[in-house]
Amino acid sequence: MSESGHSIPVTEAGDELQAERRPVPVWLILFLFVLLYWGMVWFDERGGWFAPQVYAPYRSLVEVETYQPATAVSAKDRGAPKFEVNCALCHNSDGTGKPGQAPPFVKSEWVLGSPARLIRIPLAGLSGPIKVNGQEYNFGTSMAAMGVGLSDEDLAAVLTYIRQSWGNNASEITPEQVKAVRAEVGARTQPWTTTELEALP
Amino acid sequence: MNYGPLIFLAAFFALSGSWVGFVLTPQMQVGQLQQTNVVVSGVAYPLARPGLAREGLEVYRANGCAYCHSQEIVQTGTMRNVVLNEAGTNQAAAVAALMEVTPGTSEGQAREVLRALPKTILQGVTKEAADAVTKSLSTAGAKAEPWVVPVGPDITRGWGKRRTVAQDFLFDYPVMLGSQRVGPDLANVGERLPDPNWHLRHLYAPRLVERKSSMPPYRFLFEKRRIEKLRSADALDLPAEFASGPEFEIVPTRESRALVAYLLSLRADTPLFEAPFTVAGLAASAPGTNAAPTTRGASTNAANSPPTNTPAK
Repeated sequence: MSESGHSIPVTEAGDELQAERRPVPVWLILFLFVLLYWGMVWFDERGGWFAPQVYAPYRSLVEVETYQPATAVSAKDRGAPKFEVNCALCHNSDGTGKPGQAPPFVKSEWVLGSPARLIRIPLAGLSGPIKVNGQEYNFGTSMAAMGVGLSDEDLAAVLTYIRQSWGNNASEITPEQVKAVRAEVGARTQPWTTTELEALP
Repeated sequence: MNYGPLIFLAAFFALSGSWVGFVLTPQMQVGQLQQTNVVVSGVAYPLARPGLAREGLEVYRANGCAYCHSQEIVQTGTMRNVVLNEAGTNQAAAVAALMEVTPGTSEGQAREVLRALPKTILQGVTKEAADAVTKSLSTAGAKAEPWVVPVGPDITRGWGKRRTVAQDFLFDYPVMLGSQRVGPDLANVGERLPDPNWHLRHLYAPRLVERKSSMPPYRFLFEKRRIEKLRSADALDLPAEFASGPEFEIVPTRESRALVAYLLSLRADTPLFEAPFTVAGLAASAPGTNAAPTTRGASTNAANSPPTNTPAK
């Protein structure tokens, strides 16, 4: 017979060898819990809650936001690149328009005048004839709804840009104004005519 | 005892767990990345690499450049500084305000600061402190702005301006991230070393331009040609010990040209939402300092609206 203790029990002849079952020590269980807790705290601090825009050394989206440079850039400056992409192809980078394609923006009463009329034009397009600076323009094709895909902020920035560039000096168009007009225009796809627009304030 | 189901379940959970962690979660996080707008300037970023540079990516890959060069800038922290740009018309008031916001500055030192503007007057302050200092300086007529400045060993070395993010590699396949740094990091090399001739000479004979360089020369990317009548305009300008005799010239092949075009297209120098920093000249005055009467005084709402690439909360 084997003596008591932790040695492997010597078996009787004919019996199978059997491993002794020992309980997991309490300190190991506690240590694993501490390790798990530490891991969760570590993860909580550095994981950024899986936000794709949070990279080290930032810990959370809120922290990244506090580091954003002041965005007090004028609407006019934000509008310039959008103008180049959306408008300048026909209206020219200096707003002088192109013969056979589009009338000018420089000193145009349509650009400098009523915001309600101006905002409507990029939202549904415009078909001629149109009188700008005393000259009549009538092109074969009408202008497409170039601004319908832009956000309220972007469209307001573009319109502000054309109202305040190249010697133009008119008030700013706010995103709220664009939003209000967009709601009024609704899903219209038909280009405006000047008579329609002139009926507006 | 039949352990089959248990082994199957253990293997299944181990494999599917790592698949969720290494494939599914990253795909959900950055799989839908799209071209975005650079903070402040609103220019699209990143732009697809031009054709020759796209070809150069393959040359970069084929020659194993990524074994020695990484393309990842490490950033360990971000500092908020206050930079004084203009003293304004009232010198005395500016000096007084400067002494007030930077304790321990004597009047003489403050005058000295005002002589060489723009100058960083405060480093590593909190957002509230930076805004308060900017405001009190603007009250005195001076123009200051809070700056966001990334810090880290790579940025100190001048390898980059901010950390590298997934957005930088949007149009690259494969991403040549690299893990070894036998040579310097190349994430922003196009801005650091903008001269194509420097790169060509460096590829042909690295120790010609960097005396202690351990980079092997890539002479097979160049062609040695006999000069027929006139020397080619593209021929490398090499000193006597590297030149191969007066009747020969070294001309870059299409591969080395493509590689250089690729290197020059590596520019991680724009501020992004996820990696912000202040660019000189583009920064605006801090919020709350727009008190000066401008033609757009009534429209601070529009001007302060968040940039379009702010994520929805």
